[in-house]
Amino acid sequence: MTRVKICGLMEEQHVKAASQADAIGFVFAPSKRRVSVERAQELSRLANNDMQRIGVFVNASYEEIDEAVKTVPLTMVQLHGDEPDELIRRIDVPVIQAFSIRSPDDVEKLNNSIADYILVDAPGTDYRGGSGHVFDWSLLENVNLDHSRLILAGGLNKDNVQAAISQTTPFMVDVSSGVETAGRKDEVKIQQFILQAKGDSMERTQEKTIDPVGFFGRYGGQFVPETLMKAVKELEAAYEDAKNDDEFQKEYHHYLKEYVGREQPLTFAARMTEAWGGPKIYLKREDLNHTGAHKVNNAIGQALLAQRMGKRKIVAETGAGQHGVATATICALFDLDCVVFMGEEDIKRQQLNVFRMKLLGARVESVTKGSGTLKDAVNEALRYWVTNVEDTHYLIGSALGPHPFPTMVRDFQSVIGKETKRQILEKEGRLPDAIVACVGGGSNAIGMFHPFVEDASVRLIGAEAAGAGVDTDRHAATLTKGSEGVLHGAMMKILQDDAGQVQEAHSISAGLDYPGIGPEHAHLADNGRVTYEAITDDEALASVIEMSRLEGIIPALETAHAIAEAKKQAQSMTADEVLVICVSGRGDKDMATYAEKLEGLS
Amino acid sequence: MKRLAELKQAGHKAFVAYIMAGDGGIEKLGEQIQYLQERGVTAIEVGIPFSDPVADGPTIEAAGNRALDKGITLEKVLDEMQRFDFEVKVPLVIMTYLNPVIRFGAERFTQEAKKAGASGVIIPDLPFEHRQLIEPFAKQQELVLIQLVTLTTIESRLEEILKQAEGFVYAVTVTGITGTRDDLAEEVGAFTRKVRELSPVPVYAGFGISKESHVNMLRDDVDGFIVGSAIVQAFHEDRIEDLEPLIDAVTIPHSV
Ligand SMILES: Cc1ncc(COP(=O)(O)O)c(C=O)c1O
Repeated sequence: MTRVKICGLMEEQHVKAASQADAIGFVFAPSKRRVSVERAQELSRLANNDMQRIGVFVNASYEEIDEAVKTVPLTMVQLHGDEPDELIRRIDVPVIQAFSIRSPDDVEKLNNSIADYILVDAPGTDYRGGSGHVFDWSLLENVNLDHSRLILAGGLNKDNVQAAISQTTPFMVDVSSGVETAGRKDEVKIQQFILQAKGDSMERTQEKTIDPVGFFGRYGGQFVPETLMKAVKELEAAYEDAKNDDEFQKEYHHYLKEYVGREQPLTFAARMTEAWGGPKIYLKREDLNHTGAHKVNNAIGQALLAQRMGKRKIVAETGAGQHGVATATICALFDLDCVVFMGEEDIKRQQLNVFRMKLLGARVESVTKGSGTLKDAVNEALRYWVTNVEDTHYLIGSALGPHPFPTMVRDFQSVIGKETKRQILEKEGRLPDAIVACVGGGSNAIGMFHPFVEDASVRLIGAEAAGAGVDTDRHAATLTKGSEGVLHGAMMKILQDDAGQVQEAHSISAGLDYPGIGPEHAHLADNGRVTYEAITDDEALASVIEMSRLEGIIPALETAHAIAEAKKQAQSMTADEVLVICVSGRGDKDMATYAEKLEGLS
Repeated sequence: MKRLAELKQAGHKAFVAYIMAGDGGIEKLGEQIQYLQERGVTAIEVGIPFSDPVADGPTIEAAGNRALDKGITLEKVLDEMQRFDFEVKVPLVIMTYLNPVIRFGAERFTQEAKKAGASGVIIPDLPFEHRQLIEPFAKQQELVLIQLVTLTTIESRLEEILKQAEGFVYAVTVTGITGTRDDLAEEVGAFTRKVRELSPVPVYAGFGISKESHVNMLRDDVDGFIVGSAIVQAFHEDRIEDLEPLIDAVTIPHSV
């Protein structure tokens, strides 16, 4: 994992903005970024304990350097002059020696340095502490160089840092002017730079917390009949492979852009902000995706993976029909065979989507068992998969099911949270204070939350369906009322009776009408990182009207649960705070329900 | 369970009957077990109803739903078994999905199952990889955790699973869910032969077995047959006598 150094810091807020970096640098040489030792000491106090504090010097004396090391104190020293080896040897802390690179000959010099690390930069023009000019990284390719001691500097910014890292695989990247605006450090640029440089690796460190493979704490696993084990294991291997394949990622993002229409805006909701009188409200617009909800992000990813595995037949389950429509759509696009299982009850309340699926060429199978809703549709899809496993991929629609589904669906949906993070930094220069998303199985919520899980300052709130109320027996509030259990291939939280029979869920919203919650959410609920609140049918319906009239956006019934919860959250927030709502989908599919329930609306 | 190995050594085929506990009422459980053991079956799987039986076809699912409608639970079945006032002469194996066991408590489940006279447990949604959830407790009670292998089980896993197999191995003869079938796939014979070669314990074919033609097809490649849906349906329709020829076809020695 490449480390990040933010150099030339002079002000408190910039040190704070660099809190996710690995190192901060203070310039003690003559420069417009020069600070005194005392100032560096003050600033250094604001940084985390494990942050490297690096002092930058040009031809300073040993005494000068030593005093700074002891006073600030510095954990590393970076030398940009013509310091002799004797001086380097005397310094107590690790030393970085800087070199300007013009030609292949200069690269040779690097290997002769006795310093612990070597920093490469473009030739300086204004002062010797770094020029801000980009040098030709290709000079570092194909030469004999120990990249584990390489620090890359010179003209890096958020747009080129990824390329620089993949081309030179350095120990650390060092940035100064690339995170400045008009000669002064810029908090937003600092955070964006760190995000770009570490984005992927930050995810990787988070993944390490899943141990053993396929578990989130005690939840997850592969609890499937033996017949499916081969398919599940193959999928696990294929996904692992695809995830690390740039071509696959490129193709996935190509379709997100060209077909789904990403990236989706993070819309400032001025009238909701005003009406609620609390924080600034932003809406992440998954409703603008082709097919009308976030589900398509996942459908594309999995359909590409299925083809990579040589499978051209797809089975899926659907509740609200959004996932069914997304799957049928992608199957039309890629010419895949598609069968969708849907509960009889849901077929009734989501007729429009049933017709859309049929129009798109999918076979829709009505499930009459149980409550005729999503749980029963998953059962039938699993049975179909068991029977047709050799040539069929089960394209599950939420962050549920046996490993690797919960991880894979989360990864495909994480585009929501990644875009949001970038956008809010651009618009507000900081992370939001709270984010609300609705949870059915949990895919839009986990996709939104996942990139923020490590950002402790961001409160994450999931809104589940309370149906007629959590104290009645007609709700789908799995995290409020559920307990640990195994359903549909994973250990998760489910609504069940004392004998371990899974109970039927109830919600006006077909997409939240599910008696389980994906394993990662179950884990995040247990460890308290995410809080989950339950919203009733009536509260959701009220939010449909409110949002439609305030913002001209008619939300899906599922989404309306997030709106209602956000409104509650807003009551205790202030005008200088920021609240983001994940608008998981639009309300077209729910128009029949709205017409019926909101009859007499004026 | 030792008896199963002896039966194999003697060259006899086993007939394992699956019943849905509490289908028709909990009082039927004892009656059905008595009937089957008198009729000469080798062992009986006592199925526990579950709300979401994804490995099962419509017949067993419907039977499970009938039992659930009568309020049957894992606990009630184990209690009933502990109250049997007749001699149980054949090994009883509890077949249940994992969730009722987790809810009941894995340790408590194995203790009560032992008291109920069970010799083994089959959990179709507990793969070999996760057996630690149950196996240590089962071992304490000397219950065997029966493993399933299927047509899709890859070679390396098959060897792993069979190395540790106890009691008998459940060789699933269809790529699919339980339920009666007209025909079995051609490759099933080769599959069960391979399993039998590698297995230290008897190998029984199950899923889809419902006719004498299935038995004849596989007779030489397995040590026994497990019949579920056909028995469950016959009990439900009160015509279990119809199954007698099938039981005989398996258990009466053939002179070949
Ligand atoms: C618009 C919309 N939002 C949310 C959901 C809930 O699913 P998840 O929790 O997986 O995001 C659905 C499911 O159908 C949906 O259609």
